[in-house]
Amino acid sequence: MTPEQTQADLLPGFLAISSVLTGFSEHALRGTGQTELYLATACEMVGDDSMRMMLGAFSACDIGDDTEAMGRHMRLCILSHARFGPLARNLIKLWYIGTWHCMPRDWHEAFGGNPADRDHIPSPTSYTEGLLWPAIGANPPGAKPFGYGMWANPPRVTRA
Amino acid sequence: MNGTEPFKIPPEAAFATTYDVAIVGSGVSGALIAKTLGALGLKVLVVEAGPGEDVTIGEYTKSVERFYSAVSKDNNAPYAHSRNAPMPRDYDAVKLRDSQPNDRGYLVQNGPFEIDSTYSRVLGGTTRHWEAKALRMLPDDFRMQSAFGRGRDWPVTYDALAPDYGRAERELGVSGNVEDQRYGGLTFEDGYVYPMKRMPPSFLDKTMAKDLDGFEVKVGEQTFALNVRSTPQARNGIPNPAYDGGKGFTPTGAVSIHQAEMGGRCQGNTNCVPICPVQAKYDARRTLLAAMDTGNVHLLARTVAFRVEVDGTTGRVTGITCKTYADKDAPGHVTGMLQARIFVLAANAVENARLMLASDLHGSSKLMGRNLMDHAYLLTWGLMPQVVGTGRGPLCTSGIEDIRTGNYRQHHAAVRFSIHNDGWGWATGAPYTDLAELVDARNLTGAALRRGLIDRVGRQLLLDCMIEVLPEETNRISVDPRHLDQLGNPRPVVSFHIPDYTLETAAFSRRLTRQIYQRLGAEDHTRYDPLAPGWVSHDGEGFTLRGGNHWAGTHIMGTEARTSVVDATQKSWDHGNLYLAGAGSMPSIGTANTTLTLAALCLRTADAIAAELSPGLATASVSTHCQEIPA
Repeated sequence: MTPEQTQADLLPGFLAISSVLTGFSEHALRGTGQTELYLATACEMVGDDSMRMMLGAFSACDIGDDTEAMGRHMRLCILSHARFGPLARNLIKLWYIGTWHCMPRDWHEAFGGNPADRDHIPSPTSYTEGLLWPAIGANPPGAKPFGYGMWANPPRVTRA
Repeated sequence: MNGTEPFKIPPEAAFATTYDVAIVGSGVSGALIAKTLGALGLKVLVVEAGPGEDVTIGEYTKSVERFYSAVSKDNNAPYAHSRNAPMPRDYDAVKLRDSQPNDRGYLVQNGPFEIDSTYSRVLGGTTRHWEAKALRMLPDDFRMQSAFGRGRDWPVTYDALAPDYGRAERELGVSGNVEDQRYGGLTFEDGYVYPMKRMPPSFLDKTMAKDLDGFEVKVGEQTFALNVRSTPQARNGIPNPAYDGGKGFTPTGAVSIHQAEMGGRCQGNTNCVPICPVQAKYDARRTLLAAMDTGNVHLLARTVAFRVEVDGTTGRVTGITCKTYADKDAPGHVTGMLQARIFVLAANAVENARLMLASDLHGSSKLMGRNLMDHAYLLTWGLMPQVVGTGRGPLCTSGIEDIRTGNYRQHHAAVRFSIHNDGWGWATGAPYTDLAELVDARNLTGAALRRGLIDRVGRQLLLDCMIEVLPEETNRISVDPRHLDQLGNPRPVVSFHIPDYTLETAAFSRRLTRQIYQRLGAEDHTRYDPLAPGWVSHDGEGFTLRGGNHWAGTHIMGTEARTSVVDATQKSWDHGNLYLAGAGSMPSIGTANTTLTLAALCLRTADAIAAELSPGLATASVSTHCQEIPA
């Protein structure tokens, strides 16, 4: 398979785990227009194998809508896993602020990946589409303004 | 001439022309002088070290996208690095070790204080990243020595400068409310209103004001009542129909040589520093384009002034040797000489002094480069009891101004506070650092992460304490032949320490902000890292102080050649046809961002130059051996 075919194959799993990690629906993630670019970026930096294995571990049990069970599954099988945990946390940051962070050196030593891994923003719109800003009821600084004087109104997000 | 030609004057044509006035620097100082003189029919050349780009929306958008794509969003992030006209970057300020200078960036840091201030070498200068706060200095700031026995008096009073402040507020397009500016002896002409109505105070401002307004504070022997007041700023808002005796005001929006319809009003992009994507914030390109429209002003970009040439007998400037480069990074340049009847250095307080010192012109007072000032910023930060919507609106819409002056200035420095709508970013790198902490240390994901972010970021309040620094001769810019840039120009060497007079106010400000957080019921999260650059200690307490990018004082203004560098019109005492313009002339900086005041000074300078070169003589002044300036 070509890299594009491999990644098309991984896309549903990538969206599913991204939704659980970020707390945003697959629909919202799709709406950023970044999905394919982020999957390609992550695969390029950590290698397809690591991504495929993580998605395999994620979908190994059929959990359905049980959020508590999903949370436990994520902690046990993904977030605390030496290979998948750092990758999962990197994906959260990629979705939230549009920045891919270089994986830790010990991770690369253990699991390979791209020697040219580096901090970068895959595209200018990766920054403006960051989920952090809607999460806190703000606009990405320098984009998507709310309009003159809207800052005088009470915030639209509230503390849980 | 049509719209584009003045931006493309060939270097050989510029060097072959004798202009009425040659100005080094396309920032706000140079632009205001060029526009004023061009409008009077004088032939003016403006020289810019950086690329002369960004005069179309398309080019400007490249800067916005460069900012989006920059992992490190420092205040020069929108602008491409150039090896031929390098810029200081805040991240180059690192802790000095064993008293060794730090030369990793363009500025060579000699210490002892590690200053993280920067400036921009691009068309429009540092107004390309300024925040656009446009406070006037207070009457007391102009008479520090006579009122408080500290610092220096200006040769100009507030009352004398007040009409020029009004002109500057028009040129820059200031939104503000005069009623909010009645404190500390500030006066305005009867019936004066700012060109545009004040920026609406943020929800955070209003939340703070509820519990803070009327808070009585004793400073020295005086008691002050604190109030949250709107901050005047050069950002387009709603024009005030009462402006100019009822004539109103028309804001200038985005700069473009093509038609562009944006920037007429702030939209709340929350990115005043470094770049407003719609150009609602003033930057000096607006004034430059108006200068070009006079048909009498040329721009020569990618040209770095190398040496001011002086007649040894008369002291008059005979020319300025410049190096023009083609590629921003590749070595190679051509050398030429600027020729004019009058020369103006308007390259900012650091670069003006650097150029003069590199030309072995120390001034008869020996004060060139000395008396360097900048504001010292003490940052304090906390979490409000309720979500206040951090991250919305212009970076600051209000501040606390009531203690900007008082008799306490006999003993310690003045201070004002800004309320930040953009959260803790300046202090901690928020909200990026908050995200990292919640994900990496608190192991939050999914919905819990979203809730955690609202709680952690949505309640953030940052109060910056802008503290006065007085002129001291040991604080200085110098040059050293061991530190050259790619063009062979000496780089600026900064020697700076924070005087006790300022440190005392840092300690006072920390105490007062603690009380403010206590009154608001806010969690005070302020902490200072002794390993960070800018760490200082005073009376057993340590703080990190940050620079304000308000470089000033290096060609200080005064009443005589023995004790100052320029006169009240910014004219050099030593060189009869040379003006040094900008904040470098200021004998004090009080607690106001320097741009509005230096703009007022430069409008006076333009008047002085115009009086010297009457427009009636201007046409004949273009010497016959050079080509005609295209009209």
